[in-house]
Amino acid sequence: MATSVARCLRAACPSTLSRLTRNPSVRTSWQPSIRAFSATSFRGIRKYTKDHEWIDLNADKTSGVIGISEYAAEELGDVVYVELPEDGKVVGAGDAIGAVESVKSAADINAPISCKVTAINMVLEEKPGTINLVPEDDSHGGGWICKVSVDEQGVKDFEALMDAEAYKVFTGSEH
Amino acid sequence: MASLNRLLARSRVPRLANIRRFSEAVSHPSNRVQAYVSRSSDPYLNLSVEHYLLQKSAPESVVLFLYTNSPCVVIGRNQNPWLEVNLGLLNRAGLLAKTQGSSDDADEGVALVRRRSGGGTVFHDEGNVNYSVICPSAAFDRNKHAEMVVRALRSLGAESTRVNERHDIVLDVSALASSSGGGAETYKISGSAYKLTRLRSLHHGTCLLSTPNLSRISQFLRSPAEPFLKSRGVDSVRSKIQNVRVANRDFEEAVVAEFGGMYGDVDAEIITAGEARHVPDVMKGYEELKSPKWIYEQTPRFTFATHPTEEDPRERPDLPDYLPKDFKASLVVRHGEIVEANLSGISSSSIESVQVHEVGDWRAMIGDSAGRWFNGIFGAQPDQDRTLVCTHDVLTS
Repeated sequence: MATSVARCLRAACPSTLSRLTRNPSVRTSWQPSIRAFSATSFRGIRKYTKDHEWIDLNADKTSGVIGISEYAAEELGDVVYVELPEDGKVVGAGDAIGAVESVKSAADINAPISCKVTAINMVLEEKPGTINLVPEDDSHGGGWICKVSVDEQGVKDFEALMDAEAYKVFTGSEH
Repeated sequence: MASLNRLLARSRVPRLANIRRFSEAVSHPSNRVQAYVSRSSDPYLNLSVEHYLLQKSAPESVVLFLYTNSPCVVIGRNQNPWLEVNLGLLNRAGLLAKTQGSSDDADEGVALVRRRSGGGTVFHDEGNVNYSVICPSAAFDRNKHAEMVVRALRSLGAESTRVNERHDIVLDVSALASSSGGGAETYKISGSAYKLTRLRSLHHGTCLLSTPNLSRISQFLRSPAEPFLKSRGVDSVRSKIQNVRVANRDFEEAVVAEFGGMYGDVDAEIITAGEARHVPDVMKGYEELKSPKWIYEQTPRFTFATHPTEEDPRERPDLPDYLPKDFKASLVVRHGEIVEANLSGISSSSIESVQVHEVGDWRAMIGDSAGRWFNGIFGAQPDQDRTLVCTHDVLTS
C-alpha cells in the first residue's frame, strides 16, 4: 500500500514527494488524507441501490458513472439488448433511464440519483453481452451504462444509497 | 370457487359505480389478491389496462388479468416490425378466416402492436386468450405462473401440456394422434414474456385455444425484407403451433380458479372497454401504444442492403428483373429514420432523414422500379388511404 501511494504521489506531483522526504514530521500528518484522495480519484466512491444499479461519484461530487450490479447481471441471464438512455436526459432518482432485455424479460434501469445523462456507452449497442461479462467495469470496453452530471439533489440522493458492504448484505438477504 | 359466471351476469347491467371502483380498487392496499377479465377486444386498450395494473396495483398485491384481442400481430419491445412482420399483408382484407357472426365489413385486417415486455412476435385473434400475472418483483419466477396455466389446462382435460425450457407451454401429441403419421410431436400453444420494474413484475402469455387461422398465421410473420435486413435487438424463435381446443370461457374460469388456489379465493371483476376508457392513465398509455413513435421508432438500429456487406455478409437472393441491372441500395436506419443511404443505378432524391414508416409510396422518392420494389419490401401501401391504417378503435361503451 505504501509503495502504491508513493507511486501515485510521484506520478501526480514529484515536488510533493521531495518535500515529504525533506520533512518527515509533515509526512506523518499528510499520509492518511493523501491515501484517501488517491483512492477516490482512482475508482471514485461506488454505491448501490436496492434495484441493483451502481453509481460511482467522482471526488468533487459533480459527475458519476452508472451501471447494473454483478448480482443483477447474473440474475437477469444473457442480456440480448440494451436500450440506452437519451443523451442529455434529466431524471430524478428512481426514474427509468433505459432498459435491458434478457430471456424474454424487459427490465427497467433506474437512475440511482437525480442526474443528467452526459454520455452513453455505445459499446453496449453492438455488444449487449458486455453487461454479463463486466457489469461493474467503468472503463473503456466495460459494461457501464452512462455517465452523468450531478447536482446538489443528486449528492443528497447518493448519500442515502448502500456502500459495497451494505449491498453485499442486502443481496445476501434477498435469497 | 371463483364465480366468473355470477360476475358476467352482473356486468350486463351498466353501472357507473364500476368505473370508480376499478381504478380505486386496483391501488387499494387491502386488495391483496385481484382478478380482472377484460371484455374489450382492442389489443392497444387491453395492453394499456395491463400496464396500468402493473403500475398502479398495491406493491404487495398479486393481480391476474385475462383478455382476448381481435386479430393482431404483437412484436416484442426490442424487435423490428419490418423484419418480423409482412407489413403489406396486415391491412389486406380477406386473409383471415371468417368468424361466427362477422360480416365482410368486419374484416378490418390485422393490427400491428408493440408490447412493453420482451420476447418475440406472436399472432392473436379471438381464439387466443392472454393471461397476465403481476406480483412483487421479489417473488418473480419465470415458470411459476406458466405452471399455473398448465394446471388449469389439465383440469380441462388437456393432460399433455407442460412448460418447456423456454418458459413456454407446449402440447405433446403422441405418435398415434399425430396427423403427420410420424413420431410424437410437440407444439407450442402459449408464449411467455416479462416486464420487470422496480417493485413489480409482470408475466404474460398467450394461449392458443381455438384459432380458425392456424394455417394462415405464418404468412403474417414472414417478411419479404428478411434476406436484406439485419437488425440489432431481439429475434423471434419460430415454433410449430397448435390449438389446445378448449373454450375461452372455460379457460378463463379454470385459470381464475387456479390463481385463487395459489393466492386465495377471489372473484374476477369484468372490465368493459367503456370502463377502461374512463381512466385517464389507461388512455394515456393507449395513445402511446398506438403512436408510430412507439410502434416504429422504438426499433433498434438496422441495416438494409441489396448486396453482401461487411456488417451483413449473407448472400442475397436475385433481385426482380424489373430493377435496373446495376441497381444497388444500402441503408442504415436508427429509430425508424434513415440516417445513411447509398443508392446507385437509379436517379433518386435524397432519402436521408426520412422515417421509413411514413413513406406511403416509395416511387415518388426513388423512381418507379426501385420504388415498386421498396413498396413491397417495406410494406408501403400506395393504394390505400393511410389514415385508415392506424385506426383500430373498438368503440364499445
